[in-house]
Amino acid sequence: MPEQTRIEKIKYGLLKTIDVSGFKVFDPVVRLFFGEEPQKQVKDITRYMLMPILFVCCCLVIWNFVAPRHKTKSGEVPTPEQVWSALKVNDTLHNRENEKESDFTLSDKERDERIKEVEILIAKKEEESKKLKEDLTTIDAEVTKKKDESLAPLKAKYTELKAAHKEARAERAAEAQKMADAVAEKKSGTEDLLTLLRQSNKTKELEKEKEQVVKDQIAKINDDKPKVLQNAKMASDSVATEVQHLKKRLDYLTSGNRSMKVGKAKESATTALTKLESAQSSAEILAAAKTVVKSEERADKIAKQEYPRASTIWFQMWRSLFTVFIGFMMAAVVAIPVGIMCGLNRVAMACLTPIISIFKPVSPVVWLLIFQIVVGAFFPNPETHPFFLFLNSLPIVGRLNSNPALIFSACTVAMCALWPALVNTALGVSSVENDHINVAKVLRLGLWSRLTKIIIPSSLPLVFAGLRISLGVGWMVLIAAEALSSSEGLGKYVWDQYQNGSSLTFANILLACFVIGIIGFILDRIMIVLQRAVSFDDGAATV
Amino acid sequence: MSKSTSNRYVEIVNLTKAYPNPFGRDIEVVKDFNMILKKGEIVSVIGHSGCGKSTVLTMVAGLNPISAGELAVEGKQVSGPGPDRSVVFQSPCLLPWMTSLENVMLGVKQCYPHGSRKQRRQICEHYLNLVGLADSMHKYPREMSGGMQQRVGIARAIALKPQVLLLDEPFGRLDSLTRMDLQDTILEILDREKITTMVITHDVDEAIYMSDRICMMTNGPEATVGQMLEVPFARPRVRAEILDHPRYYDFRFALIAFLEKQEHAKDAHVKSVHEKLRESQNELVAAG
Repeated sequence: MPEQTRIEKIKYGLLKTIDVSGFKVFDPVVRLFFGEEPQKQVKDITRYMLMPILFVCCCLVIWNFVAPRHKTKSGEVPTPEQVWSALKVNDTLHNRENEKESDFTLSDKERDERIKEVEILIAKKEEESKKLKEDLTTIDAEVTKKKDESLAPLKAKYTELKAAHKEARAERAAEAQKMADAVAEKKSGTEDLLTLLRQSNKTKELEKEKEQVVKDQIAKINDDKPKVLQNAKMASDSVATEVQHLKKRLDYLTSGNRSMKVGKAKESATTALTKLESAQSSAEILAAAKTVVKSEERADKIAKQEYPRASTIWFQMWRSLFTVFIGFMMAAVVAIPVGIMCGLNRVAMACLTPIISIFKPVSPVVWLLIFQIVVGAFFPNPETHPFFLFLNSLPIVGRLNSNPALIFSACTVAMCALWPALVNTALGVSSVENDHINVAKVLRLGLWSRLTKIIIPSSLPLVFAGLRISLGVGWMVLIAAEALSSSEGLGKYVWDQYQNGSSLTFANILLACFVIGIIGFILDRIMIVLQRAVSFDDGAATV
Repeated sequence: MSKSTSNRYVEIVNLTKAYPNPFGRDIEVVKDFNMILKKGEIVSVIGHSGCGKSTVLTMVAGLNPISAGELAVEGKQVSGPGPDRSVVFQSPCLLPWMTSLENVMLGVKQCYPHGSRKQRRQICEHYLNLVGLADSMHKYPREMSGGMQQRVGIARAIALKPQVLLLDEPFGRLDSLTRMDLQDTILEILDREKITTMVITHDVDEAIYMSDRICMMTNGPEATVGQMLEVPFARPRVRAEILDHPRYYDFRFALIAFLEKQEHAKDAHVKSVHEKLRESQNELVAAG
């Protein structure tokens, strides 16, 4: 076989990477790039890439068409465009939190510089806002004028109709009266009066309907908000909120700033100290000393203060990921050793079978409630518990505000994710090839090397297949658990959105749906790559 | 070492394998199998497929529990598997997550627990060299051909410095060219190391070429030693010379004759069973 050229090496390296990472769809693209059988590759690309893309686009078009036509209690179903703008809104919210946080922690010279920057920005934005507001009022005036113009004839018609109907009603009443008189004088039968009254009621209904039609027309014109007006309002609103945000930032840079607060506390400490020095009587001295200590303590406390972040979707996402990671690890740590034990020993398997069979089908909701009670008992004072103090002092994890809710959500995830990993591990261990077992017997391997050299390596592909299912289950369970338990995370985000009912609610929920789905997909892909990395033969399945 | 142990190095006495039969007496696949191997001797066991050759070998290896009878190596009774009797299986049985070196190392670690890492590695490299795999030490089984994999299997078995080497149709799954090649490799090693060896085979030529004695097994059930044949060719052997040897075809004829006789016996047995069945049916018809 001739030696591979450098280009070939790159090509096959790339193809291998694609294959291992489970993105086999891109295989023809790479081959086409290197000019291998272009016709075949183009055919494959159209079949397996363009067609799916086209299909997804079709789905989007259908969504876009159907969504605005379905009216719900909380407004129309959002279109893809609205979901996309919801993403942008959520992202801005997140960035603003970041800005405010950095403002809060700035001090000294940097703070002064930042104040200047923000002030310039505020001036600029306020001007812009003013202009936009003016635009809005002119547009609004125009629109109202137009509306009034189109409304005037309708309103005239309405009053006309009403007057005419009033007249007709009076006429009918008079006629009925006449008829009644005639009946009293026995000039005619009651039957005629009744038919007359029935007739008159019917006409009344008809008249009302006519009025309603005109009324509806008026209401429609009144409700109609032209796109121009909407856009102008949105532009004005967004700049107005931007100005508001900048003002808030200024606040965090000045009076709300941490270093400023600390300075203030320290100042009061020094004044108290001077007071202490000048104090005469013992009572005065004691009081002054107490103030000194108190002010110092306060200064220390403020210096350690963190910016109270509002929870944005990205924060919730990271927290969910952390929770699922902890839960998944707990599941793996329990499931793999127990699974190995079950696979090796039929008695152990028999002992665990009833437990697995009974607890596997239990709903995550039940586990959540159980763990809420059980875990809660371990942490009577979560704020001062060393475990959470430790978790929250860690560099990146610390920002996620770990609390008992996180632990019991993770426990729920672990409880539900445990079973697939356990069952698969047991299966993997018990189905080690007989030949390999014979080798171990002939070599008289001890239990430990039998485990590490033969049983575990040979069952790893199945173990990882189980872990992959576990992670998928865990991620699904977690979102439900968070929604139910109000543990911070994507589940809670969805629940909060559902509860608060702003104009963006529905779009935000759909956005969260996509975020959850995409993360689930990425987690699954990571597990596939791991599974393939530990598979010794090349036949690992990719789905 | 006394002469008696060297002449009775491996003793197989009344070896029997019986499988339980829930509806009758136990089925004795192998019954009263007796054989004595001298030190350094190569003995082939030949027989029709399914006659119980492999059962005998797995029992000697300790992988298959013995129902009755005894087994002694160097005068000491043995039970259960152990590295003193290493096995080369029909399929290479390599661990696919290890390179050939690691596969050999797995056994070496077990047999030289006090050797240093470097010493062990040298041993592995030596035996891989012997089987002609100096260039493929770091290859994984999937990167090697069946013949190369089987070579690793042989290196792994021999690296254990076994007292007895058990070969269970080691060339059964290889093409004839590779097979001849491997036969020569093994003979070369055995001539040098003088390991007492038991080869299971169903290939007549292989049996004659490789062994000092050939044990012909009768057909099962209750298979046992049918005949023993001495092959007095000198060692080291050269294939061409052996093929040209005037007695070669005598041996070959003797073996084939025995095997054919077994086949006929089997046919006769089947026939008799059929006849019995027919008779009983006839009786039933007559009675009914």
